[in-house]
Amino acid sequence: MGKDECKTMLDALNKVTACYRHLVIALGSTSDSQNLREELKKTRKKAQELAVANRTKLTALLKDKSISKDDRAEYERLWVLFTSSMELLDVDMKRSLEIGQDFPLKVPTRHLIQTGMTGSTTTVAARAMSVQNMKYEADANIDTVDLKELETEIAQVDQMMEEMEMKVQVAPWAVEAKQEAGAELKSTVSVGNSSVGVISICEEEPKETVEGETGLMKVFAGIIFTVVLLIAGILGYLVINL
Amino acid sequence: AFYHAKQYAPVYFMCAQIQMERMVISMQDPDMGIKLRNQRLLITVIPHAMTGADIVEWLIKKCSISDEEALHIGQIFVKYGYIYPLKEPRNLILKVDDSPYRFQMPYYWMSTRWPASELDYAIYLAKKNIRKQGELIEYEKECYNALHKRINHTWDFVVMQAREQLRASKQRRKADRIVLKCQEQAYWLVNRPPVSAELYKLITLTKNTLYLLKRTLTITLCEGLTRLCVCVCSYVKYCEQYQPHDPIMQGCLPSIPWITDDIMFWNMNFAVPTKLRVERWSFSFMELLNDPMGRKEFLTYLKKEFSAENLCFWQACEDVRHGETSKIPEKVDEVYKQFLTPGASRWVNIDSKTMEKTLEGLKRPHRFVLDDAQMHIYFLMKKDSYPRYLKSDLYKNLFARAIVPQETKKSVFPFMRRQRHSSPSPALATQAAEDDGKAKNSNSFKSNSGTASRR
Repeated sequence: MGKDECKTMLDALNKVTACYRHLVIALGSTSDSQNLREELKKTRKKAQELAVANRTKLTALLKDKSISKDDRAEYERLWVLFTSSMELLDVDMKRSLEIGQDFPLKVPTRHLIQTGMTGSTTTVAARAMSVQNMKYEADANIDTVDLKELETEIAQVDQMMEEMEMKVQVAPWAVEAKQEAGAELKSTVSVGNSSVGVISICEEEPKETVEGETGLMKVFAGIIFTVVLLIAGILGYLVINL
Repeated sequence: AFYHAKQYAPVYFMCAQIQMERMVISMQDPDMGIKLRNQRLLITVIPHAMTGADIVEWLIKKCSISDEEALHIGQIFVKYGYIYPLKEPRNLILKVDDSPYRFQMPYYWMSTRWPASELDYAIYLAKKNIRKQGELIEYEKECYNALHKRINHTWDFVVMQAREQLRASKQRRKADRIVLKCQEQAYWLVNRPPVSAELYKLITLTKNTLYLLKRTLTITLCEGLTRLCVCVCSYVKYCEQYQPHDPIMQGCLPSIPWITDDIMFWNMNFAVPTKLRVERWSFSFMELLNDPMGRKEFLTYLKKEFSAENLCFWQACEDVRHGETSKIPEKVDEVYKQFLTPGASRWVNIDSKTMEKTLEGLKRPHRFVLDDAQMHIYFLMKKDSYPRYLKSDLYKNLFARAIVPQETKKSVFPFMRRQRHSSPSPALATQAAEDDGKAKNSNSFKSNSGTASRR
């Protein structure tokens, strides 16, 4: 059905938008590298492909006059989700252009900001591209070459968004969301595919950084206690038997 | 207060911002920059931490300023979010001791071009809500509820995006995750948006009105322009199509009678038509019908197709419309008998509604009573028979046989050319006729003066 297909595609676009934002945040810091620039380029292109696919599908569905009122309301809601995603993507692309220009990689004295982030972003990019491992095949001067492409792509996205605004007549403030406040605390699905363990994410990140360590401490204490018990048990057995 | 100040003096702020950014970059210098240490959490070690004292010391050395000035400048860096505290994140001040600080990501630097958006803040609060399982602080709870009302239409997106961003950050290693969390928190502490509901209601209202206005204006402009374009295009197309047929623009073959006094142009179109004339029939159906030869050819074609009665009916209706008023009732009756009676010899196919209307009108016949039926048959022919006629062999053969007249030979010797003289003026001709008439009348009058008039 058209609706399910739409939701799956929107989910994919949402995932890629989130990963793209994650990658753009790493620009200019000690996590920045040629690989990151390539990851940004690939993710960006994937995002654009998904955006065009989504737009075509949704415009076709919205232009159809024979759909029911409920269906139409649902498609308008999906349209608002799509435009919000595009807004985020647009801002992130513009930011990545600005930061990319301010922090070139092929200069004799690199001054990347030492923010404490030192790990690579490969896994995030792999998640965005839905692959197991990322392959890096770009030239050494990708940081400057890619910026020009990025400028044209930003212009394309801006134009697409303007066209969308004019052609599709959906008043955003008329759409009602399905989720109530606090819906993210429940583990139920929001759109389409099931979320992989929302509760597990909560368990991963306990209250504060300093307090986070106390959880680990408890685990250690438990292990030590069990070990001590075992030793005591074995000693006792030996004493009794000897 | 900070948020509003930014709006009042954007230019000054931007200059200061650029300088601050430059200074932060110079702090990164491996030799001349700030001394960085590792931050030791229980198991994780995160690099790139510095103490407040280090910062102030560096500022004193770099800018050659006093203690107080260095502290003041350091405070500015913390206040605007270029450096954030690690021990007490909500307390954005610089302490000149060993309390740890860290640099903020360039993405989160104060940039007037990308002001903190409501959507981003909503996503951040949703993420925090998930992480803390609903335990937000009071201020954040208020903002959350206010945002939920304000951007309700995109709340599904907020939830979706919050979940996905958390999943994406799960992909990084623990140390980086902690750093990311701290940085985002610091950014939003610096950029706390005000909670005033009225101000935002006003802003949303203005945004919506502007959006609608822009939309209507663009649509009207677009439509107007498109219609104008369509108009102009069709006019240009018309001109292009008819240009070869215009004697003034293209000249006409064999020659323009008014100039050369050669009336071949009027006399030659009887037996075999010219190519131009036949071509003209293909421009529109009206052109074909207006040309008597065209009409005749079309009738021949329709006879082959056994739908000749359509054209005859149309012609009869035209006759009614343009004929004498006194003869209308009998003409209409004739038409009815021949074409409209069921079982008539030349029955035309009209839809029931029009037929009913016409039959009603026939009770009181007037000039335009057959208009609806005529229109129906006209469009039937135009849509159906006319295109087929243009594709038919009959038309194509006629076009092939059509001639292109020769241009009248201009005699080589100028003095052998026929004298051009204008034909007698019509005004003179009528006056002459009048004079003649008057003379005749006066004669007859004289002869009839005795007898009584019979009129």
